[in-house]
Amino acid sequence: MSGREDRVAVTVADWPADVESEEGVVVNWFVRAGAAVDASESLCEIQVEKVSMDVYAPAAGTLTEIVCGEGAEFERGDTLAWITPDA
Amino acid sequence: MADSQREQTMSRAMVDAIAHEMRGNEEVFYMGEDVADYGGIFDSTEGLREEFGYDRIMDVPISETAYLGAAVGAAQAGMRPIAELMFVDFFGVAMDQIYNQMAKNTYMSGRSVSVPMVLTAAVGGTYNDAAQHSQTLYGTFAHLPGMKVVVPSTAYDARGLMHNAIRDDDPVVYLFHKRLMGIGWLPAPDGPKTPVPEDDYTIPFGSADVKREGDDVTIVTLGLHVHRALAAAESLAADGIDAEVVDLRSLVPLDAETVVESVEKTGRLVVVDEDYRSFGVTGEIVARVADDALASLDAVERVAVPDVPIPYARPLESEVIPSTDDITAAVERTQG
Repeated sequence: MSGREDRVAVTVADWPADVESEEGVVVNWFVRAGAAVDASESLCEIQVEKVSMDVYAPAAGTLTEIVCGEGAEFERGDTLAWITPDA
Repeated sequence: MADSQREQTMSRAMVDAIAHEMRGNEEVFYMGEDVADYGGIFDSTEGLREEFGYDRIMDVPISETAYLGAAVGAAQAGMRPIAELMFVDFFGVAMDQIYNQMAKNTYMSGRSVSVPMVLTAAVGGTYNDAAQHSQTLYGTFAHLPGMKVVVPSTAYDARGLMHNAIRDDDPVVYLFHKRLMGIGWLPAPDGPKTPVPEDDYTIPFGSADVKREGDDVTIVTLGLHVHRALAAAESLAADGIDAEVVDLRSLVPLDAETVVESVEKTGRLVVVDEDYRSFGVTGEIVARVADDALASLDAVERVAVPDVPIPYARPLESEVIPSTDDITAAVERTQG
């Protein structure tokens, strides 16, 4: 029985160094909610001040929830999605 | 294992195909304006310079005349260049290189040379870039003999068509619509982002794809308007009209057979094009169906850009470029 606290947050691990903005926008998701993902697999593409970068899976498992959909803006540190790791 | 669930943007699918071909054949190289350090202003070469370096991903000076001519020469010498026109609208400054050299040198040389090059170009409007940066010019390229012309509408098709284009021994014009690429500032509609196999595969030219099956009307289109036609088909389905959507995928060669078979089933034809109405795709498709299946044709509609330059102003551009509602209305007119 795994509770919600077992989920791993997908966040932007390395904020681009050469931007001033603390906000980004999600451009593309490459997996849908419910899909199995590998660790370090590219999950989505985000953009901060026109700098595009990929966000990678922090763990293998199932992408159980997308919090910020395509076109959604977020702040540095926000959770973009949740992964339920493989048991 | 998770690969089968992975979806890709059209730009990444194109880039994967190019990278795959470049790894397998050192004669393949890419040149164009802002394709190396910038990765292509519409992401058509994103990441390639990092893997292949400046010798094989070449930024060129702003002279389409020079570098498209160079591509023709490199191709005749046995290389497999991919040369990118940043905007298809710029073809005019290299019209002789394209129309008279790339397209004809195989014929003019009595087949002593071939021209295995790919000319890629960004096409299309819908983002207020005005009359010299918004055209599709599908008809301009499909009109002249000697060039194959392909137009992907999804990531899956873009990958397979690109593999086929690079491997083809004749010149191929590969026209990618900017709004399908998956760029942050130019959001794509739902649809072009699809699952794409990890391994390479080809999609033969001249094979149209029935993107939606239906019995009441045949909508023939390509590029961005495949997705607008599919959206129109969904709203028409709510009204009990079952539309078939045929994505041509290539104009040269043209898969008229798939179109004719569909019209023989539905009896009604709507052709949708983001190019100008006159002397273009809509007239050609209607003529092909008339040639082969005139008796099956109960109703015909053309939905295209009226013969005016694409306006800059947003409401005016939206007025001239066919919308989902324009397609829906055209289909309804065929159902009398």
